[in-house]
Amino acid sequence: MSGLGDTRTARAAVAAVTAAQLAASDEPWQPDEPLRTRKEVNRLHRTEHRWAALFMAAPIIGFLAFTVYPLGYAIYASLTRWNGLGQMTFIGLENYLRLFRDQYFLTSLWNTFFYMIGIPIGLALSLLLALALNRGIFGQTAFRTIYYVPVVSSLAAVAIVWQFAYNGDYGMINQVLAWFGIQGPDWLQNTATVKPAIIIMAIWKGLGYSTLLYLAAIQSVPRSMLEAATIDGASAAQRVWSIVVPMVRPVTFFLVVTNIIGGAQLFTEVNIMTPNGGPEFSSATVVWYIFRQAFRYQEMGYATAMAVVLGIIIFVVTLIQFRLNRRNEFSVE
Amino acid sequence: MRTIRTAVAMTAVAGVAALTLTACGSGGGSGDADTIQFMFRGGPDEKAAYEEAIERYTEDTGIKVEMIVTDADQYATKLQAAVSGGKVPDVFYIEQANLQSYVHSGVLMDITDLVEESDVDLDNIWPFGVDSYRFDGELQGTPDGRLYGLPKDVGPFAFGYNKTMLEEAGIPLPSPEEGYTWDEFVDVTEQLTVDKDGDGALDQWGTGLNVMWNLQALVWSNGGDWTNEDRTEVTVDTPEFAEALQYFADLTNVHGVTPSASDAATLDTYQRWMAGEIGFFPVGPWDVSVYNDLDFEYDLIPWPVGATGEPATWVGSLGIGVSATTGNPEAAVELVTYLSADRQAQETLVAANIQVPNLIDMAEEWAAAPDAEPANREEFLSIVRETGRPMPAAFTFGAAWYDELWTNIQPVLDGTQTAEDYLAEVQPRMQDLLDESNLRAEQAAAAG
Repeated sequence: MSGLGDTRTARAAVAAVTAAQLAASDEPWQPDEPLRTRKEVNRLHRTEHRWAALFMAAPIIGFLAFTVYPLGYAIYASLTRWNGLGQMTFIGLENYLRLFRDQYFLTSLWNTFFYMIGIPIGLALSLLLALALNRGIFGQTAFRTIYYVPVVSSLAAVAIVWQFAYNGDYGMINQVLAWFGIQGPDWLQNTATVKPAIIIMAIWKGLGYSTLLYLAAIQSVPRSMLEAATIDGASAAQRVWSIVVPMVRPVTFFLVVTNIIGGAQLFTEVNIMTPNGGPEFSSATVVWYIFRQAFRYQEMGYATAMAVVLGIIIFVVTLIQFRLNRRNEFSVE
Repeated sequence: MRTIRTAVAMTAVAGVAALTLTACGSGGGSGDADTIQFMFRGGPDEKAAYEEAIERYTEDTGIKVEMIVTDADQYATKLQAAVSGGKVPDVFYIEQANLQSYVHSGVLMDITDLVEESDVDLDNIWPFGVDSYRFDGELQGTPDGRLYGLPKDVGPFAFGYNKTMLEEAGIPLPSPEEGYTWDEFVDVTEQLTVDKDGDGALDQWGTGLNVMWNLQALVWSNGGDWTNEDRTEVTVDTPEFAEALQYFADLTNVHGVTPSASDAATLDTYQRWMAGEIGFFPVGPWDVSVYNDLDFEYDLIPWPVGATGEPATWVGSLGIGVSATTGNPEAAVELVTYLSADRQAQETLVAANIQVPNLIDMAEEWAAAPDAEPANREEFLSIVRETGRPMPAAFTFGAAWYDELWTNIQPVLDGTQTAEDYLAEVQPRMQDLLDESNLRAEQAAAAG
């Protein structure tokens, strides 16, 4: 904190001096013997400015064209009745009012949050897996590769395979359960099991990625700290809980943020495994419902309003996370 | 500092302006008058058939055709993107259910006059197929509306049975002309539902139907329907409708002639049918190439008959339309007639066993062929001619009201709620959505 204070004082001092100088003379400050004439300086500045503007223009145009313009367009579209093809009719906030009366939208919002139960489970599993893979067990590289295969597989293909596996009659999962005398449910046709089924698949799919990041983070935990803790008599569990877990917190934070943003946009798995939104709309997510309204019912304006609301929710949730994380920041002196 | 700001602002404005211009810039299709863009979806068979037709078209007219093929799943989104980007292909596939939006939005061209001038014989194309693309500004599918497309195909959804299985069970084969009554159907399917290998678990079932695709046949044949004729009132809460849905659910829950309560939405029964474990199953023209290679004999029969005494089922269709902004309307319409009614192209499609011929005389010859497989191809034609109807939501503005029926239907299929209760409960919700859809149609008509 004291460092920051110093800088502030220094800045204030400089500002005071400059202000005093400006007040003292009408003319701007000039070197006693100019290296170039004023004209030359101006020309040089102009050329440089032109180049600078050109270089800056590239990202700025990109930002305007691919972020600001579509965003503005979307916000405008959300205030219209529009089928995605013809004229937009401005209707003010009607789409937004309709949204909060639309039971399916609210259900899909609830479903989307429900799916996020998978995030802490997935993170805990991948941390455990990373710890195991970090111990130098036999076939470590092979295991790392195997756990990473789902990550690089096509999501659509994987979803179809899981759909077969979840089939109530002859799916692989129920056959395995049957060996233990358990009569498995028809996973995807049952309101109580369809969400857990999709969560399990999503965890399986994301496990390799989180594990990889955790593995890298664990390997950068200073060995000396762990050794010191061992000497002080800390057990293995204590070492993990009090040293490794706090040390990998930046990775956890990154994974939580990206998983929540990704989870809020869950679509492909749901659309492939339950093309009609599941029994009694029990698996439909917000993005799935947006897609249906936009492309099946041609309610592009209404769908856009939902997308805007979803965007705001994601933004707010992410903001909260950053706030919470700031409080948790720490540093190794 | 000022200069930079101005420069940046200028470039930014210019950039946005340029984008807006491209977005609004109309035109569409290929700018070149000698080239026509044709966007469609489909497999290799369709592509091959159309390539032939297009080759002849280019020879006859000197106009080149640029083909854009997409996946079935991506077609709708891609077309919509093309439309909002102002790059509508000159000729493209159009679904029955989207026709009205496309007409109101000024995307589809009225081709009535140009088709009449051309040498295509509309009387020789299935009326159902042609009328599907007629729209009089209020009702679609009526014979006197303006024409906005020609059929790419007609898709009669027939009923089939595993002949080998029935012969082995010693059950007399069903008549190719008269459908079973509902009671007879239960009786036959009960006989077919058995445990063949004696391990205590059933391994052969009478049938296994999907509510979303098969309920129509039962409801219509029983005298029920989804809406009134004007498509303004939802009529699913009638006793006829309830009886049909209850019968459907009872096949599983009371009579136990289907594999399991909850497989309605999975591929399950389709695979079992192909494995020869299911007696009665629907057959569409698009299924024939696959079913002909199965290890058992099968044939077509009318759907089981409800209270009206007449069988019923649905017919689908996909259309080919012309962009309202095409640079060469005559050439585009002529291409549509080649794709829809060219004899040789139809022969290629029919030889691939993926569709019923669009041309009536050709279809009749095809149905009468002595080596026909399935033998009763005539059933497909009689559906297109008489017993078939369009899907309930084919001609309404959007299908949200129709989907509402399926969303919460699972308890009925599981036997935990009666059809009557459920239908009484769902009717008001469907009615609200249909009202909204009709309102949207009016608004779109007013805006267009």
